[in-house]
Amino acid sequence: MENQISASDTAVEMGGVAENEAAASAESAVPPKKKKRHINQQKLQDNIWGWVFCIPLIVGTVWFVYAALIMAILLSFTNYHLADGTLMDCLANLGDNIYVNSGGGIDPDTGEIIAGVARTEPFHWYAQIFTRTVLSTGTTDIYMNEMGKYLFNTVFYMIGIPIGMILAMFLAVCMSRDIKGGSVFRVLYYIPCVASTISIVFTFKLMFSQEGVMNEILGTNIAWIKQLGPQSWNDLYRPDNPSSSNFMRDPFWCQGFISKMVIVIMSVWKGLGGTIILYVAGLSGVNAATKEAAQIDGASAWKIFWKVTMPDLYPVIFYNVVTAVIGGMQIYAEPELFISSTTLGGEQIAGYVALIYIHGLNGDAATPAAGAAYGLFLAVIIFIMTLFQFWLDSRKKD
Amino acid sequence: MKQEIEMKNETAQTPELQEKQYSSFRYALGAVLAFFGFSSRTHHASQKRAKLVGDIFVYIVLLFGAFLMVYPFWWMLAGSFAFTSNLQTGNAILNRLVWWPEISTANANETGVGLFYNYKIMFTEAFVKSDYSNFHANFNYWRALGNNLFYSIVPVVVGVITSASAAFSFAKINWIGRNQVFFFLLAAIMVPGASITTTQYAMYTDLGMANNWSVMVVPGLFGSIMTAFFIRQFLFGLPTSIIEAAKIDGAGYFRIFCSFILPLAMPAIMAQALLSFMGAWNNYMGSYIFINPQSEWINMPHAMQIMSAGTYKSNQGPVIAASVMCVLPVLILFACFQKLIIGSLMLTGSKE
Repeated sequence: MENQISASDTAVEMGGVAENEAAASAESAVPPKKKKRHINQQKLQDNIWGWVFCIPLIVGTVWFVYAALIMAILLSFTNYHLADGTLMDCLANLGDNIYVNSGGGIDPDTGEIIAGVARTEPFHWYAQIFTRTVLSTGTTDIYMNEMGKYLFNTVFYMIGIPIGMILAMFLAVCMSRDIKGGSVFRVLYYIPCVASTISIVFTFKLMFSQEGVMNEILGTNIAWIKQLGPQSWNDLYRPDNPSSSNFMRDPFWCQGFISKMVIVIMSVWKGLGGTIILYVAGLSGVNAATKEAAQIDGASAWKIFWKVTMPDLYPVIFYNVVTAVIGGMQIYAEPELFISSTTLGGEQIAGYVALIYIHGLNGDAATPAAGAAYGLFLAVIIFIMTLFQFWLDSRKKD
Repeated sequence: MKQEIEMKNETAQTPELQEKQYSSFRYALGAVLAFFGFSSRTHHASQKRAKLVGDIFVYIVLLFGAFLMVYPFWWMLAGSFAFTSNLQTGNAILNRLVWWPEISTANANETGVGLFYNYKIMFTEAFVKSDYSNFHANFNYWRALGNNLFYSIVPVVVGVITSASAAFSFAKINWIGRNQVFFFLLAAIMVPGASITTTQYAMYTDLGMANNWSVMVVPGLFGSIMTAFFIRQFLFGLPTSIIEAAKIDGAGYFRIFCSFILPLAMPAIMAQALLSFMGAWNNYMGSYIFINPQSEWINMPHAMQIMSAGTYKSNQGPVIAASVMCVLPVLILFACFQKLIIGSLMLTGSKE
């Protein structure tokens, strides 16, 4: 008996797999404390290495996303310029740097400069989104402030989302028939997705020029991309200005319509391949047995598509719509490259994000505080739109 | 009994069929429809014929679509051979181009320019001689190319490895708070990039990162959440018993990661690395926002934009040549690894 105990003790000391065996053979002899300590050792290792392996990603995310987000929230209440000093100084003395409205101004009746009472306005930039106007002398029939105009353009570009969805669905259904070379088509359609936006914009700009390929093929003479001169925007808008064309007297939502359509065409063309691949992947996961059963029961192909395929594809479509809306709200590069939005001509087609950059990144005159506030407003819009889509989704399931 | 019913059915059906008289036009229409695979009351089309006609229709649609997808690239290539350096004609030759330029660099006779004239200009003059005020005097094409390679190789290789290590930790190691940390990280993708860009710019300026290489490299070194997420999904498919066995044999977690996880998850890691490489190669916005156009650290798309808006505005031939040279490396990479990339996209269900 004693021999057995000592043997098992040595086995425990040897550790490893032998320990378990020995413990099973002589349960009473093994001190429970020791077994527990071994497990803790393993858990400790797990905890240490788990953190070590993901610490770079955590640091990066916290630094470049969460810290930047918190700084953006704090910054949006201040009146910070890059020339004022470092961002950290500004945020450390947040109380002293809150936006101050001097309260003075020019009396509209007498034209005299009046000194007012200075007061802090933490929500100055947020209020500015809704009040700042571009056209102080505008007499167009629909009057819109700056934010509304830019946001309208962003929403306008989103008509590309349903067009792309339907086209991609049609082509994906075509590709998922058992034809030869289906994978070749998949690759060909994906090529525009990997090409750089800037090269494609250069190409499309020339293809859609007034003497370009598009007009030649269609036999038309459309000025697809309208570039405005460097004249003052406000002057051009005055209806009594002789140099203002009919186009400039149009209400804001008609301006640059064709240019915007070209951008919609380009984004649909560029994004089609990615959506098709997602749909093809989704279609290959559709339950073949259900399809066959429906076929035997005499359902038409059209009916099978709507009653069997579509419900199975619903998660893919939902994911696509959500990501497309989030991406679509942040459109910037395409309009910027087609007609530079930093010059006056771009206003007619630039999306909301251009507004953030015009205020927040405009060289020495930049106010990152305004950019932060405008950006947070965009984040709230996107968040609400996403929540709305998930709400629709949950209603559908009921 | 059964026979009786069948008999009844026959007697009930046959007179009906005989009674129905079709006009010769309807009959011919039925025949034509049946030829194209559509069954109607007069003719029954065979399943085989229906499939054949459907296939032909699908081929026509897909070929037309594929033509639309590829044509702009052909246009780009043909346009890069258009002779636009003549002041009188300028971009008009590019504008009129449909299949091949009227006056290409091969047949522009007066100075005897070679076929690759636009490319020659781009390599030697376009990025240097541009008198656009924003353009750096010492800057040239090879510098932009080097910058672009640097920005798209270093952060991608390091970033994918850090992402994979995080994915390993989230998928295969049990540690306290693992799921909470994971969702904390995943929530970060809900923050739109554009919202925090101006703050990031101020932050990078503080840290001295703006306007040089570090702003394009350092954030990428820490890996990306989406990459980690997809590699994690892949790692869930690997058996845990391999790791258990390695642990029993005395391998530490670092060793397990290097000699088991990295090789086993190579398909997923490679696909994510290629996709990130393409994203970094085409990253116009990063350079445009964070790097001053006068700086020598701008990347290729940014340099192309400056070149196109400057001296070469009315001589777009070299610009199109630069576009071709910007698209070509990515296309070659895609052609080599298309199976891997498309497979990964279909598996993970992500477009990025």
